[in-house]
Amino acid sequence: MERQGPILEKLTRRLAETPPDFLDEPRIGTTGRVFVPALVNDLLSLYGARAPAAALMRFHGADAKIDRNRLALAMITVWLLADEWFVSVKIPQADALRVLDETVTELAAATAAHKFVNDTDRREELARVVLARLNYRPARETIAQATDRLSSLSSTERRRLLEASRAAERRARAIREALAKKAAEESADKWTRE
Amino acid sequence: MSDLVTDHDRYPTLTEAGRRMLEFMREHPAAPVYRNQSGNRLTAADIEALRIFEREVLEAAVGWSRGCMPSWATAFVARTFEDVPFYRALGSPPPRFEDLPTVSRADFAADIARFVPDSIALDRLINFRTTGTSGHPMLIASHPMVAGRYLAFHKRALRRFGVDLTHGGGQVGVVLLGHQRKCFTYVSVTPTMDESGLAKINLHPNDWRDPDDRARYLDALAPEVYGGDPISFAELLNLPITARPRALISVSMMLSPGLRRRLEERFGCPVLDVYSLNEAGPVAVFDPAVGGHVLLQPMLYVEILDKAGHPVNVGERGEITLTGGFNFCLPLLRYRTGDYASLSFSPEAPVLTGLSGRPPVRFRTESEEWINNIDVTHALGQFPIPQFGLHQRADGTVILRLSETALPLLDAARAALKPLFGAQTIDVEVIAVEDKINQYTSDLESSQP
Repeated sequence: MERQGPILEKLTRRLAETPPDFLDEPRIGTTGRVFVPALVNDLLSLYGARAPAAALMRFHGADAKIDRNRLALAMITVWLLADEWFVSVKIPQADALRVLDETVTELAAATAAHKFVNDTDRREELARVVLARLNYRPARETIAQATDRLSSLSSTERRRLLEASRAAERRARAIREALAKKAAEESADKWTRE
Repeated sequence: MSDLVTDHDRYPTLTEAGRRMLEFMREHPAAPVYRNQSGNRLTAADIEALRIFEREVLEAAVGWSRGCMPSWATAFVARTFEDVPFYRALGSPPPRFEDLPTVSRADFAADIARFVPDSIALDRLINFRTTGTSGHPMLIASHPMVAGRYLAFHKRALRRFGVDLTHGGGQVGVVLLGHQRKCFTYVSVTPTMDESGLAKINLHPNDWRDPDDRARYLDALAPEVYGGDPISFAELLNLPITARPRALISVSMMLSPGLRRRLEERFGCPVLDVYSLNEAGPVAVFDPAVGGHVLLQPMLYVEILDKAGHPVNVGERGEITLTGGFNFCLPLLRYRTGDYASLSFSPEAPVLTGLSGRPPVRFRTESEEWINNIDVTHALGQFPIPQFGLHQRADGTVILRLSETALPLLDAARAALKPLFGAQTIDVEVIAVEDKINQYTSDLESSQP
């Protein structure tokens, strides 16, 4: 976060105004319409050079149950990174790819992609995280302020997600136990049995 | 939910009359050995809610305009993505319904807990087990109210055939028949039918002190409806029963037109062939007048998909895929059933045509032409055979699998297959009484169209 980046609100507004094309369905197998490797490649062209095919492999989806949310967030992040400020500073290709892959995977693990468009705090989180991973901070903020705000946003969210994930595990265990009980096994009357 | 289950848990609203009905069914001199216990588990509030649900189901229109989604679908998808862990992990709902990923038995079998909504309280959860023939045993999360709701759809189906159920207090509403070595059997009462009796019994002689007790007992119960499958109904035909039910409801397996006719003639009542799954309940009832299974559920959207998961054109065959349903413990979003049919639209409701439980299989004739398994269904459907299957070996020879009770029809069945298979060898295997088989199989390459 050593370098000054753009004004944060410019990025969050851009996210809020993400065009429908970038919220459309990523192509996975034979479903969906947006071929994400091509979208990523177009962004990298804006930065100056197209990517080698191997670098784009991560953006081919194989299984919707695993890849869908990650690719949906990659599309939104491509839209963010196509802002004229990012284009003007010529983000190195390797850095852009790292954000689109690792950072997006991390964020998509627990939050629905479109929340980074529809929810104020998540918009701010995505903008700040992307800037930070590219070693920038929002304009008019000191390193300390930017670090503090990012950590506050992220740690609150991480705590929430961790708790949600623990609760989800507890819940799944409770369901399995409830279904295994004698009363559940005895079931209840249906007028026909399949 | 404690692990100790009492009769109060099984029949929370049981009256003295209901208790007498249970006693009558359990303690009749010709009663079978009841091996298990279960009940309706319905509270007074549940019963009231079920009555309202039943009225709504009977009055509601079923279906949607061709080419359009049902009006409730968008909100249902959004709610499911919010409330169900499996879908929450997928991210945001897609803008187009067709982009929703499909799920199958394998997903449910892997971990059903991920499909149970967060908003469901767990203290009254029950399960229905299903084995099927797909190799994916499943535990279906359910609730006494969901089980109770089945009756609303049966009534809708029965009304189609002019039957309005009337049995109430002091009478038996339904006897569910099995014919297996091992079968879950018990007695209960149906509170929404004034505690009419419900008995789930096994016709296999092992469950009776004297096999002749079967007819004596069923005549004493004189149920308004028999529920069963083609195997148990074929056994019912062998019993000298004199009491007449008002309807038979067959589920679980394909009911041949021949067996349906025999049952109708013998019992003088409509025989309903209901397409029903543990995952979704009663989906559709066969109506000869429209030549297919007419959909029954107002909140169930049916798509027909190809192998890649794309909707096929109206009238083309594909996999029956369900969205919605009445089991609030297991909301279905594009659930691929593993069953196949085409979909057409009658003025009253959508209709599944050519329903079959497995992917289509082609068979090679002597003259090297391919015929569809539906041709075999038509050739053998005229006979009152409870269950049959056909397998083609790699050398083109054919094995006809028949239930033991159908062996007297073997020559006629072979003759019916002759126009299809010519001089090709047709061997015969007997299906064990408790087996549910994959009806059509083949070792030949290109047998899957």
